[in-house]
Amino acid sequence: MITLTELTDAAQKAFPADRLAPDRDASWRQAAELGWLMIDLPEDQGGLGLGRAASTAIHVEMGRVLSRAPLIPAMIALSGIAVSTMPDKQDWIDRICGGDYVPLNMLPGSASRDGDGRLNGRVSGLFEADMAGHVLAGLAGLYCLIPPDAPGVTVTERVLWDKSRRLFDLDLADFTPTLIVAEGDEAAQLHDIISPLAQLALAADSLGGANAALDMSVEYLKMRQQFGRPLAMFQALKHRCADLKTQIVAAEALLWSRSRDDAATAADIGAMKALANQVYLLVTEEAIQLHGGIGLTDEHNCHLFMKRAMLNQQLCGGTDHWQAAAGRQALERM
Amino acid sequence: MSEHTDLAALRAALRDWLSANKPKGWREAYAGMSHAAFAQAQKDWFMALVQGGYAIPHWPKEWPGGGRSLAEQKVIYEELARADCPRLLLTFVSTYHAFATFHECGTAEQKAYYLPRILEGEVWCQGFSEPGAGSDLAAITCKAERKGEVYVINGQKVWSTMAQYADMCLLLVRTSSEGAKQAGITYLLMDMKAKGVTVRPINQIQGDQEYCEMFLDHVEVPVSQRVGEEGAGWAVAQATLSSERGLTLMELTYRMRGALPRTAKLIHDNARSEDAGILRDFGALVTQVDAACAVADQFLDNRMQGIEGMGDASIVKNSYSRALRAYSLLGLRLGGMAEQFVAPITYGDLNTGNWMADYMNSYAWTIAGGSEEVQRNIIAERMLEMPREPKGWVA
Repeated sequence: MITLTELTDAAQKAFPADRLAPDRDASWRQAAELGWLMIDLPEDQGGLGLGRAASTAIHVEMGRVLSRAPLIPAMIALSGIAVSTMPDKQDWIDRICGGDYVPLNMLPGSASRDGDGRLNGRVSGLFEADMAGHVLAGLAGLYCLIPPDAPGVTVTERVLWDKSRRLFDLDLADFTPTLIVAEGDEAAQLHDIISPLAQLALAADSLGGANAALDMSVEYLKMRQQFGRPLAMFQALKHRCADLKTQIVAAEALLWSRSRDDAATAADIGAMKALANQVYLLVTEEAIQLHGGIGLTDEHNCHLFMKRAMLNQQLCGGTDHWQAAAGRQALERM
Repeated sequence: MSEHTDLAALRAALRDWLSANKPKGWREAYAGMSHAAFAQAQKDWFMALVQGGYAIPHWPKEWPGGGRSLAEQKVIYEELARADCPRLLLTFVSTYHAFATFHECGTAEQKAYYLPRILEGEVWCQGFSEPGAGSDLAAITCKAERKGEVYVINGQKVWSTMAQYADMCLLLVRTSSEGAKQAGITYLLMDMKAKGVTVRPINQIQGDQEYCEMFLDHVEVPVSQRVGEEGAGWAVAQATLSSERGLTLMELTYRMRGALPRTAKLIHDNARSEDAGILRDFGALVTQVDAACAVADQFLDNRMQGIEGMGDASIVKNSYSRALRAYSLLGLRLGGMAEQFVAPITYGDLNTGNWMADYMNSYAWTIAGGSEEVQRNIIAERMLEMPREPKGWVA
């Protein structure tokens, strides 16, 4: 069986650190060819069955290079379909593993079903929906597959500050879903299964990015000279970098520990994501400050990391929500 | 038997042993205890652990309870933390620092003479830091002059933990002022009852007297009580200081996690359990403590696989000490005015629920054993490979 180190090495070879935000469509094809979409999928469903630590390793590497390929929403959607009781789910699994892009919405939407089963309202937070044949809409009490080009469906891009991703909304007008993945109690169960996967993936993306942003800043400080010496020689700056490194390593240790802990709850993993994202935000804030004026220019890469960190904070439940959930859980347990 | 079942058996046996032998009601007994009574209670607990075979798992296997793998040592400290036993403070320097010194650098005679005494409860202290040599330890000036078969020592030492109870001292002295400052340092073993040794406990901000200063006035130490060659003391000191390597920090982070219910109780007692701000801060603290535990675990796992990196230990230490500070600060906020009234301190633990004392004690971990700032230098220079500052400043 492939080890995490081998997986990481392969990912770094395919997506070298010096090529940030590589072309989306080429990256997507490459990731699909490398089998990454099916990394977490059980073997009896045609997947590689490598588990959550393996998918985490991939998301760390994709975060490091600010990947444009929307692996996270695709892999979460695949996991959701794989655990569902949808009758023809294996066909969908095979299609997705083959590279058909089916994303899960990463933000809560307003769409709801009326008495006749028609959907009206918005499905929010669909990444790269322009390349999706279907999307997996996760709504209150319902998961269904929706083709964006169906009658009654309008797709609108919402232009993000984050340049490494594109986000779309789907507006539904009297749309009758026919491809039901889960509803009622089953939908709630499906949500409980895939929500922690999304948190893990976003935490991994955040810490991969935090590492890259810190590496970039340290390299800059070593190269940039002022007052007749490299900036990296000034203890005031070294200590800040050391603190950032310490926070990254501690958050990473928790990421790996939670990714292997089958008993970890949604609150455990959500609070870990909140920590990872806070570290990402802090590192990217400091990265711009440590770079000085050049960090404020569009041509420099600093802002790309900062904007991705800001967006990650908002996806699948924010920092406040997960910290409070962890606090409440700890109080109930103690 | 696989290693896994061995570890499970060790864990089960230790749990049984602890339920029979753990000092009952020690928290109540230790609260407000005199220091002399504390020293006796610590000796009793140490001797019980020696008898049980759990006091010196890191020693070689010819010693009772020795020869344990790092994985086994980890289990032992996990269980001691889980059972909420008193920590072994009084014998820490003897079983870790003195042991490592003899094990790595001592002569056969020194090992044969001193190690059995340590197992009988002999207490050791460290005479390393000086008023002018703290973070810059190699700047020590305490002077030793060779006169025949003895060294004659004059100088001052400070921050010697529990020196007032110590029988022996691991002493760093300057035997030469030539060349690099590290090159003139020699490592001696000093009898605390020797003529000319004066020990003065230091009153600390939380009312404890854990540290002492030592004044050495023409103290004679036989040359046979030197470890390593004259002038080779710096290397011996490195062996001494690297002896525990993460186990203590793992134990302490687990203890802090075990103490979080004390914070939870404070939240309940003060009717703050529906306060969104408190819920978030508590959730963030629990997560920070979990991360400190995870990083300590990871450090030991890496050590077991032989892949410890430069600076890893510094990250473990700073993660723990910052979490400890946050832990005591939240307790103080929640405890409110009640915490501003003097209350008895409990020796032997860093998470006692006397939140002002816990807060003040938490500084020991950001200052002692290589300050947070020294650790930051190590992380920056050895992990991130940022250049050292140029030397040569002259006052």
